[in-house]
Amino acid sequence: MNYDLVVCGVGGQGVLAIAWVIDHAAVAAGYHLKQPEVHGMAQRGGAVSAFVRIADAPIASDLIPDGAASLVLSVEPMESLRYARMLRPDGWIVTDVTPLRNVAAYPDAERLFDVLFSVPRVIAVDATRLAHKAGAVKAHNMVMLGAAAALLPIPADLLERHVHALFAAKGERLAASNVDAFRLGDAAGRFTSALVAGGVARGVAARVVARLDFQPRPVDGDVVATWCARLRAPAASAAAARIFTADKPLTLADGPSAFAA
Amino acid sequence: MTEKILLGDEAVALGAVDAGITAAYAYPGTPSTEILETIRRHAGTADSPIRGLWSTNEKVALEEGIGVSYAGRRALVAMKHVGLNVAADPFMNVAVAGAHGGLVVAVADDPSMHSSQNEQDSRYYADFAQVPCLEPSDQQECYTFTREAFDLSETLHVPVLLRLVTRLAHSRARVTTSPPRRQNDARYVADASLYTLLPSNARRAYGKLLDKQSALADYAEHHPANALTLRIGRGPGLLVSGIAWNYLREALGPALARYHVLRVGAYPLPVRKVRALLDASTEVCVIEEGYPFIERYVSALGLMREPPIKGKMTGHLPRSGELTPDVLRRAFGLPAREALHVAGLDDVLVSRPPRLCEGCPHDDAYDALNEALAGMGDDVRVMGDIGCYALGYLAPHRAIHSCLCMGASIGMAIGAAHAGMRPALCVIGDGTFTHSGMAPLLDAARENIDIKVVILDNSIVAMTGGQPTMATDEQVVDLVAGLGVPRARIRVIAPTPQKKAENVRVIRDEIAQPGLSVIIARRACVTYAKVIKEHRRERKAAPA
Repeated sequence: MNYDLVVCGVGGQGVLAIAWVIDHAAVAAGYHLKQPEVHGMAQRGGAVSAFVRIADAPIASDLIPDGAASLVLSVEPMESLRYARMLRPDGWIVTDVTPLRNVAAYPDAERLFDVLFSVPRVIAVDATRLAHKAGAVKAHNMVMLGAAAALLPIPADLLERHVHALFAAKGERLAASNVDAFRLGDAAGRFTSALVAGGVARGVAARVVARLDFQPRPVDGDVVATWCARLRAPAASAAAARIFTADKPLTLADGPSAFAA
Repeated sequence: MTEKILLGDEAVALGAVDAGITAAYAYPGTPSTEILETIRRHAGTADSPIRGLWSTNEKVALEEGIGVSYAGRRALVAMKHVGLNVAADPFMNVAVAGAHGGLVVAVADDPSMHSSQNEQDSRYYADFAQVPCLEPSDQQECYTFTREAFDLSETLHVPVLLRLVTRLAHSRARVTTSPPRRQNDARYVADASLYTLLPSNARRAYGKLLDKQSALADYAEHHPANALTLRIGRGPGLLVSGIAWNYLREALGPALARYHVLRVGAYPLPVRKVRALLDASTEVCVIEEGYPFIERYVSALGLMREPPIKGKMTGHLPRSGELTPDVLRRAFGLPAREALHVAGLDDVLVSRPPRLCEGCPHDDAYDALNEALAGMGDDVRVMGDIGCYALGYLAPHRAIHSCLCMGASIGMAIGAAHAGMRPALCVIGDGTFTHSGMAPLLDAARENIDIKVVILDNSIVAMTGGQPTMATDEQVVDLVAGLGVPRARIRVIAPTPQKKAENVRVIRDEIAQPGLSVIIARRACVTYAKVIKEHRRERKAAPA
């Protein structure tokens, strides 16, 4: 087994904290690890990345070759695309959908998301909102880690335990909030996969999940079934586009009216 | 035996701690900073404490380390590659004097210039000084080579250079550590003449360094990191060093078994093994991170015909930038892996360069400076220096017009003023000022040269992650005055949006004054506000 991923975002978004949790959980699971990261000037609002290589045999290169990464895990949507060329053809992008516009030339949102949702395997999460719900505004990084948890070759409970360990020194409340943030993201990530497995078009599933509210636990099977049925409908694609750009987020309990034009 | 997840830098630090160092010295610089940061978290034990000190600059750091060695104990000195230029004087001379207690200089090179102004290769310094260089290829070797370097230093009485590169310094992996060795007892150098390099002594000491060369050659010839693997029959050969070995294995995979291979991790070059590789090979490709150091030697500057030597000098590998597995695949004519194709990617990707933080005092200092200079013509030039404020070169400020090396701004302003430049301005941070800005300011003060020095005092070395600065606030004023700048020509301003008009006036007034002025823009870094408070507390608590 070998699994390569890129964790990325902007300086100050907690990219290296995500890598810390994956590193320690991977080693606790008995894997070999190599994890280079970008330090230095980049921490001042510039692009930041960490490469994580996990394997059950010793790993040669610290750097991930192009086309070898299974996952790009990003805390910022444009940054997620910066590393897309490193992905295998069947690779995933898991990203927060809140743009951080600290550069003048930041792309137009519609074009950015059109390109993002054209990627075959995407999980998109409104991590900022979910982190707020978890009670720790800065925990959007742990929401994103949760959203990717089901894809990683590491048991989710091991990841969760290391999320807790990372924040334990700063008090139980913050640690618990970050674990909640992780669980909210995990629910969103697994829900996306469940929708796709249930026949929903990938772009539709990703757009809708990005605007959905979650609870810090897996979504019930009957709720999944309801949403699958709803999002398999022919008009779902247009509805998903509308939902993604609407002001008001959806809840899992919302009825069909949420899909009205 | 304990296993930990460590950065290469952290592995070097623990290797030094476990090797029984008494002290470590460094000046912060990416990608080397985490070495001393890690050592500072290991205070040693009550009866054998470890001192970890941020020094004024790399030259001072190395001289402090040499003092520890002189007293018979072990010291690690850490810096980035360009820091060794600053420390080159003690480095070259301690090579002649020889180490007494173990002395290891850990230097982190930055191929691709991720956060540096050049990609110079520190192996040349070891070669220049005729001392050994160890070049780890992974984090475990960072630990074991550091420990070994101290033993080597004491056995052969030489300082040892440990060469890191960014991708090793800043990459994590599992590292197994072994039980620590106790510190040396103090035991001063018996023959003080070796450290007193008056010409007659220096000739004798240099003779001793030359005498050590055959032992060094022997050491390198038998070092397990210099591993020669010959296949049956003549065939292509690879000569590969340091971290390049990892990329090569990744790029070639099982195809590596077709080549004769010589790995190098300890210098001087193992000449007999190189000879054996050349004899067995139809051609040899040299793969090394950094400059074509090995290639130049082995190919005799490219003059050697048989077997042909390929590498960076022959265009088979890129001459600049770091190696990667993909770079090596291309060099060996292997196809790129199939990757995900995303249409329209380039249309929605823009670069996101580093920038000054929200609320940064440098923003306000540059705002005031730019406004003060507005109307003085388009060709006003401001000499800049190294630190976060080097970002003042970029939009929106575009306020500085040079950034060469630590402390260069003041000396360059002096020269430009002599060449007729008016106004001759320069900008330097508090950390860089004490690192190497005080000497040129002394020049300017002695001659009252017509330059305007803006010291951006943000109370911290910010760009490398918040290390303590040597002087801040009134200490900076006192230093400047002590160098001979009249108190009336030292103006302290507070760079804030509210005080902009007043600050612009102060800068214009000083430009209008003939002669030397120093304007200190004093406001603490916002990003490291908490750390600055800690540093201030520590400084108060420290014995006078």
